[in-house]
Amino acid sequence: MKLLLATSAAALALLGSGCATSVNTVSRAEPQASPSYVADQRVITDASLGRKVAIVSVNEAKVSGDLLKIQVTLENRSSKPQAFTYKFDWVANDGMELSAPTGGWKQIQLEGRETRAVSAIATSPKAVDFRLKIREN
Amino acid sequence: MNPKFTCTLAAAALALFVSGCASQNDAKYVDSQGPNTIVSLNSINIQDWNNAADKLVASLLESNVLERAPTLPAVMAVSRIRNNTQQQVDTDALTKKIRVALNKSGKIVTTTTLGPDGKVEDAVAADAGAMQAFMAGEKQKTTLPYYTLSGKLLEDRVKSGSTQQTTYTFQLSLTTVNDGLAVWEDETQITKQGRRSSVGW
Repeated sequence: MKLLLATSAAALALLGSGCATSVNTVSRAEPQASPSYVADQRVITDASLGRKVAIVSVNEAKVSGDLLKIQVTLENRSSKPQAFTYKFDWVANDGMELSAPTGGWKQIQLEGRETRAVSAIATSPKAVDFRLKIREN
Repeated sequence: MNPKFTCTLAAAALALFVSGCASQNDAKYVDSQGPNTIVSLNSINIQDWNNAADKLVASLLESNVLERAPTLPAVMAVSRIRNNTQQQVDTDALTKKIRVALNKSGKIVTTTTLGPDGKVEDAVAADAGAMQAFMAGEKQKTTLPYYTLSGKLLEDRVKSGSTQQTTYTFQLSLTTVNDGLAVWEDETQITKQGRRSSVGW
């Protein structure tokens, strides 16, 4: 019985370590970039997803003169790879949602403990606000 | 247990099972830009065109080269997009999305009366322009493009055991007509791996 338990524990540990592929990272100790951060509000409807992926920061910029670019930095809190889909919606000054010809849900896979940014550019200069939706695969 | 109750329970379970199966197999509408579209290994899917166009448009807008045109919106003509994949695809699936996005951005308008090998997209507009100039006794005024968009689609297939991997590469170049220089170039790749097609990502 003891042997069975020990074997099971060893197999479980091996399985666990086999699946874990967390990412080690190195970057400049004092970052030179000065991003323009956006104060955000979050609505969590999937608590499980909320525990797996953290939103580290949201920053914005203007590209091509007048087009809003939003970058959201995500972090996989687990040591296992996680696949998500995300989608950016754009909102005009009058609160109307803008149609995006190349919008839609996109996939991202974050390795264990990986931090990565997803970004999008509003194709209309009318866009002043955004919504990022994230769902688990 | 009461046999009547057991029968009713079994019938209900069977009905639920059958209706569940039916809803899985019956045709239904899905969001073209949603996460429940079919993913196939042997073809470029609707979401692949969408993702490729999205990445390439973002790259082009970020490059800020469109602002270099003397007037905005700049005129662009779509040149040849070569299809070097094994499939017969309509490259408009990519270029039209890019054109629409650039048009909405206010940076680009696309001419539909100029095309590769003289094949114009809007023949009526080209003829009407010529007719209008003829009736007015003038030379036809054609707005020449400042930019042209050209590109290529590539495909790479590899197999390991029963797992198949297909990579589609979408390459685009934006060239200024007056000097023939590619002022913006980029490519994006989409790789799909699996044993068979599936629904959803």
